[in-house]
Amino acid sequence: MLGSYHTQILERSMNAANLRHRTITNNLANIDTPQFKSQQVVFEEYLQQELSGALGKQKLEAYRTNERHIPFANAGGFAMPQIVSNPNNIVQNNGNDVDLESEQTELAKNQIWYSGLTQLTSGSYQKIRSVIDGGGK
Amino acid sequence: MSLFQGINTSASALTANRLRLDTIASNIANAETTRANFVNGVWQPYKRKMVELSPKSGESFDNLLQAAVGNITGKNGDQGVRVTAIKEDETPFKRVYDPSHPDADQDGYVLMPNVDMMKEMVDMISASRSYEANITALNATKNMMMKALEIR
Repeated sequence: MLGSYHTQILERSMNAANLRHRTITNNLANIDTPQFKSQQVVFEEYLQQELSGALGKQKLEAYRTNERHIPFANAGGFAMPQIVSNPNNIVQNNGNDVDLESEQTELAKNQIWYSGLTQLTSGSYQKIRSVIDGGGK
Repeated sequence: MSLFQGINTSASALTANRLRLDTIASNIANAETTRANFVNGVWQPYKRKMVELSPKSGESFDNLLQAAVGNITGKNGDQGVRVTAIKEDETPFKRVYDPSHPDADQDGYVLMPNVDMMKEMVDMISASRSYEANITALNATKNMMMKALEIR
């Protein structure tokens, strides 16, 4: 129960937020480096695909002869964050395409997302603790 | 995958921008220095210094490990920035007519450093803005780490 699919998704989302934060930090660090190309992290789209089962269709399903056999669901096809570069960004004269304003906005958005995820994770553990304590008996 | 990497990345940029500011300060301080190098019995004026930046290679142990276990796919980011060299500006010196100057030649002309005050001011603002942006990123990293510690 502690390692449920729900908490797994939260954990992977937090890892993605972490990776995105590092990517943005790196973009900001190289804001004046000639020929540097900024990088972005794509994750939400992949997670959406996984949750809607689009990724699940591609993976191998375990053959089950009985309803009560444990399904090997989520045995693969996990949504993983991907680092990409956008070639359509406006490039400055020194070959650098870091946009300070958009990076700062992404940084702020990512922070809110991360703190939301920490609250959700806390909440799910809070529920389990409440059950262990026997509710409000 | 550690958040500390984020702090290191920001810190590398803070160091680089501090060095840029130091270089600009040196350029401004030596804007009138006519005796910087003694070459073949003749004093040469100060040459404007510039900082050369390049991304740090992303081949740290952490990056390679995360790629090997498949936690991240696609090319992983280089982490941080570093100063590779301090270059000298090779544009010609300014020739100013000032016969009373101790370093004036027979015709009364003095070679002055190739420091352009306007350029230095623009560079200075650019460097200090970059510094501020990286401070913001560093504070964001700190806040995220504190948030993660609040999970219980």
